[in-house]
Amino acid sequence: MWSQGGVTDEDRLSRAQARTVIGRVFKMAAPFRKTMYVAFACVCATTLCALAGPLLVRRGIDLGIRGNDPASLNVSVGVYLLVALIAYVFGRAQFLYLNRTGESFLRVLRLAVFRQMQRQSMAFYDRNKAGVLVARMTADIESMAELVQWGLLQFLAAGMLIVFALVLLATLSWQLTIVALLVMPILIAASVKFQRDSNKAYLTVRDRVGANLSALQEGITTVRVIQAYAQEEETIRKFTKSNRELFKSHEHSVRVSTWYFALIEFGGVFASALIIGIGGWLVHRGDVTLGTVVAFTLLLSSLFDPVQQLSQLYNTVQSAGAALNKLFQILDAKPEVDEHPGAVALPLSGELVVNGIDFTYSGAENRALQSVSISVGVGEKLALVGPTGAGKSTLAKLMARLYDPQVGSVSYGGIDLKMATMSSLRERIVVVPQEGFLFNGTIRDNLRIARSTANDEEIDAAIAAIGATEHFATLPDGLDTEVRERGSRLSAGERQLVALARAALVDPAVLVLDEATSNLDPGTEAEVEHALERLMAGRTVIVVAHRLSTVQRADHIAVIADAQVAEYGTHAELIAKGGRYSALAAAWQKSQVSR
Amino acid sequence: MTSIESDTEVAARLEFEETQRSEGWRLLRAALRLQRRNLLLGALVGILWASFKVAVPQMTKYAINDGIEKNGPLLRWALIIGGLGVLTGVLSGMRRYIAFRESRWAETLFRERLFSHVLNLHVGYHDKAQTGQLMSRASSDLMQIQGFIVMIPITLSNVIQIFAVTAILFLTDPILAIVALIPLPFVNLSARRFSHRIHPASIAVQAEQAQLANVVEESISGVRVVKGFGAEQVQFEKLEKEADDILRESMKAARIRSSFMPAIDVLPALGLVAVLGVGGHRVLNGDLTIGDLVAFNVYLTLLIWPLRNIGMIVALGQRAAAALVRINEVMSTESEITDPAQPKTLPLQTTEPVGAVKFDKVLFGYNPEFPVLRNFSMEIRGGESIAIVGATGSGKSTVTRLLLRFYDTQSGHVFLDGIDVRKLKLSDLRKHIGVVFEDTVLFNDSVRNNIAFAKPDAGVEEIERAAKLSGAHDFVLQLPNGYETVIGERGFSLSGGQRQRIAIARAIVANPRVLVLDDATSAVDPSKEGEIRDAMKTVMSGRTTIVIAHRPGTIALADRVILLDEGKVAAIGTHDELVGSNARYREVLASMSTPEEEKVN
Repeated sequence: MWSQGGVTDEDRLSRAQARTVIGRVFKMAAPFRKTMYVAFACVCATTLCALAGPLLVRRGIDLGIRGNDPASLNVSVGVYLLVALIAYVFGRAQFLYLNRTGESFLRVLRLAVFRQMQRQSMAFYDRNKAGVLVARMTADIESMAELVQWGLLQFLAAGMLIVFALVLLATLSWQLTIVALLVMPILIAASVKFQRDSNKAYLTVRDRVGANLSALQEGITTVRVIQAYAQEEETIRKFTKSNRELFKSHEHSVRVSTWYFALIEFGGVFASALIIGIGGWLVHRGDVTLGTVVAFTLLLSSLFDPVQQLSQLYNTVQSAGAALNKLFQILDAKPEVDEHPGAVALPLSGELVVNGIDFTYSGAENRALQSVSISVGVGEKLALVGPTGAGKSTLAKLMARLYDPQVGSVSYGGIDLKMATMSSLRERIVVVPQEGFLFNGTIRDNLRIARSTANDEEIDAAIAAIGATEHFATLPDGLDTEVRERGSRLSAGERQLVALARAALVDPAVLVLDEATSNLDPGTEAEVEHALERLMAGRTVIVVAHRLSTVQRADHIAVIADAQVAEYGTHAELIAKGGRYSALAAAWQKSQVSR
Repeated sequence: MTSIESDTEVAARLEFEETQRSEGWRLLRAALRLQRRNLLLGALVGILWASFKVAVPQMTKYAINDGIEKNGPLLRWALIIGGLGVLTGVLSGMRRYIAFRESRWAETLFRERLFSHVLNLHVGYHDKAQTGQLMSRASSDLMQIQGFIVMIPITLSNVIQIFAVTAILFLTDPILAIVALIPLPFVNLSARRFSHRIHPASIAVQAEQAQLANVVEESISGVRVVKGFGAEQVQFEKLEKEADDILRESMKAARIRSSFMPAIDVLPALGLVAVLGVGGHRVLNGDLTIGDLVAFNVYLTLLIWPLRNIGMIVALGQRAAAALVRINEVMSTESEITDPAQPKTLPLQTTEPVGAVKFDKVLFGYNPEFPVLRNFSMEIRGGESIAIVGATGSGKSTVTRLLLRFYDTQSGHVFLDGIDVRKLKLSDLRKHIGVVFEDTVLFNDSVRNNIAFAKPDAGVEEIERAAKLSGAHDFVLQLPNGYETVIGERGFSLSGGQRQRIAIARAIVANPRVLVLDDATSAVDPSKEGEIRDAMKTVMSGRTTIVIAHRPGTIALADRVILLDEGKVAAIGTHDELVGSNARYREVLASMSTPEEEKVN
């Protein structure tokens, strides 16, 4: 339709930004530059063919009919037919080549942005909301598909048509060209105003559509609560309000376009009235031929239509520019945790030492960790406990180099993790997050996330290592069961088992565990617990603990409070000390069964 | 379809689909009848516009023949054409405005009816329905219908225009008319075929885009796993495959476009070639004036857009019909749980405590062949608190759903204060039962409005009192805007325990006769749980409370315990009594405990 895009003031590109964006687009499109040039040539050819038509009609009328020369008329007709057929051939080619250029560009863009996103460290994912990043890769790039399929072609063709038509008209008759141009300023002014108003109207509609969809979705997903509290009427009343707001914004955007299209329609007819009136007078004076007047009435639309098209496309092009700008920002973001040029492989085993580290999350005011030092020996189990937000998870993350500390270092077997190769780091130290996160695909596919080269036997062995062979054998397709989106086909406990099997597949020396806060269903909980125990056996383990049972099994306990290690020792030592830990242990005890 | 249908089954299905379709059209007609005045006005405007539009080339012809060739009153002709410009301009604006406004209005009303219908459908329906499906009924399906309605006035004026132009061409010169018009029906045909073929192609592109979105979404949500295992390359390869698929499908669509669009452009040009060739010679022979020839040219260009549009409206109509069938499927579903014809009212609160609940020989199963509750009877006195304990799948949560009348029993009765719940108005019944569900649902709204959900006019004190009782007050004050902080999916994100505490406050504000806590504190930080339990005792005193216990800790809240086993009440008594006397109870308790406690035992 007439308005497929819009751009907010803050997203609108400055002239300099626009130049950079265009430059980078051409650089990215370099691999298929040839296709692009062919496409451009085809657009030129088609445009010329479109303009040749009225010219040939003029020639036919003036030389053939008025000059009473049937042969000349036939020549005009023959050439016209030829031009029409050529236009068809080039028309097809321009579609194909332009689409190929555009779609190939979008493919390259998708791959580049995704690759760059994947190179980023965790800090990047903390700063950017997941929803926004997904939108960059999907909605933002898809919004350009429209432009690629239609817009680019129209934009090029319209621009060329205006230039060619003006040149042509001027060579036919400068007097009539001036007449035709009399209407142009009004048309251009109206188009500019329309483009601004419709942009604004479009943005409002887009917001309201979003709000309305959310209200709709919320109503449907929360229907049980709404019915349980008998609030149907109230909810419908609220929805109706948002729905009417949406209607009003639609109505407004129609009104914006109404007067514009009315003016365009009037402008076209009015211009031909002028051409006929003044052109007729010029014919009487003998300044122009009748054929020229006829050609002018036919060519007027070649001048006016493109102006209209350009104004409608302007918003789409601008929003594409804004989207590209945001995507380029992602491409420019430097990954914070990256492999050092002189990186070495970590040794097979060693002590994990945290040495006086300070760490502040980017954008945060307070330090998450402050001069923390701690060491974990080979095969030792360390439990990190403490209040929410005190820094225990942060410490665990730094010990696996998901972040780099600002001050101090984390080393393994005497080598600073910053100096280690990424591959040896991921083989030596594995993080198992709170909840088993599953990807689309089979259980086997999900294990291969940990090691893409693993064969079926190795995967079977990993499942056996955590003692889950029997459990997964009961599934309809065993390990080849499709887990569906986010593993929705499996229970939370089963998902956790898969996550543990992944770790077993890597067979790391160090495990970093984030214990789940909420309970699993009682049935699988025991199995997960059992799998964890087998996995932990013989490895160095750092666990962010939420349960007494876990803490009691650890060799040492570190209480993290206010970004520092507040207490460190064994369970018995800390209980005897009667400090923070003993208070925490007492609270835990109380929340279990009341005896 | 893998199953083989018999002839009668096929016949029945086809007949069903046929009724659905005619029902769908009936739905649309009924909706449009409400707007018939404006739609008729739109049609009238469209017809007028078409007539004036057709008159323009006619006047151009006179201007050339009379004004230019014969030296006639040129100015008069120019003024007439200019006047027609004003008329067509105004009318085309009006036509556009009416068409769009009316179609949007129809869409708006449709959406409201759909929403309120869905919201009042019984819970059993929602168990089976998918949110995404219902969403697309109310969004993309309604868009199809809107797209169709908008074309009604436009198509009408297009048809008039085509007839008028054709008539004029034939009146001017029948032979030239035939020659010029031959290529044009193909414009219509191409447009129609194009619409049919591009639709599935663009759907295929969308499907591929959705798959790519899945890969992106899971790579970003699961970034810790990807990073933790260095699986970037694995995910990149998945993405590359999806990006290649998009390119392939997009190029298929591009090929379809490239084979139709230029053809649609070229066909009218062939008509113009024919006019110049055949018409030119007829002018030379004196059978036609030059003015006529030029008018012919202009008329042919006037036919291009109407023919394209009419080609497309066929496809639009078919899509709208399919959308209507899907919408009608929802709209024709009746709610299975409705208000009784002559509702009774609950007895007023007297000195006797209210909130007595009784289940009498209840038989119920979500699938009637597999009953969840069998011959289930229990009685809870007004003001009493009771815990329902049972293994997973024993039917604990089902009890709540029957009390709320989310479902009706297959046999047996449920009573609230001595009145069968089926004899009460639904809103009456439900206003007196406050449930905190197992999975906490909050609305995308302020904390205040979430807590006051059941009672939108609740005062500040009432809301804060409820929040204090549920242990929410303290952390709410810490939120950026306190009670005005917007929470929920798109708002400030709260922890599981915080969400549950807000849900408890919501139930407290409702001030129900019966309070149901379905595993209400499962996600609360263990160190806070004790605090909340203490506060809950205040809320529960003198109020009937049903605690659905998933964990041993919550049992302590209740006076008595009901052990549910295989859909029946297996034992009733205090916690201590049951621990002492009932082996099954001890078993169930043990299965609920955390492994650490197992070891202690």
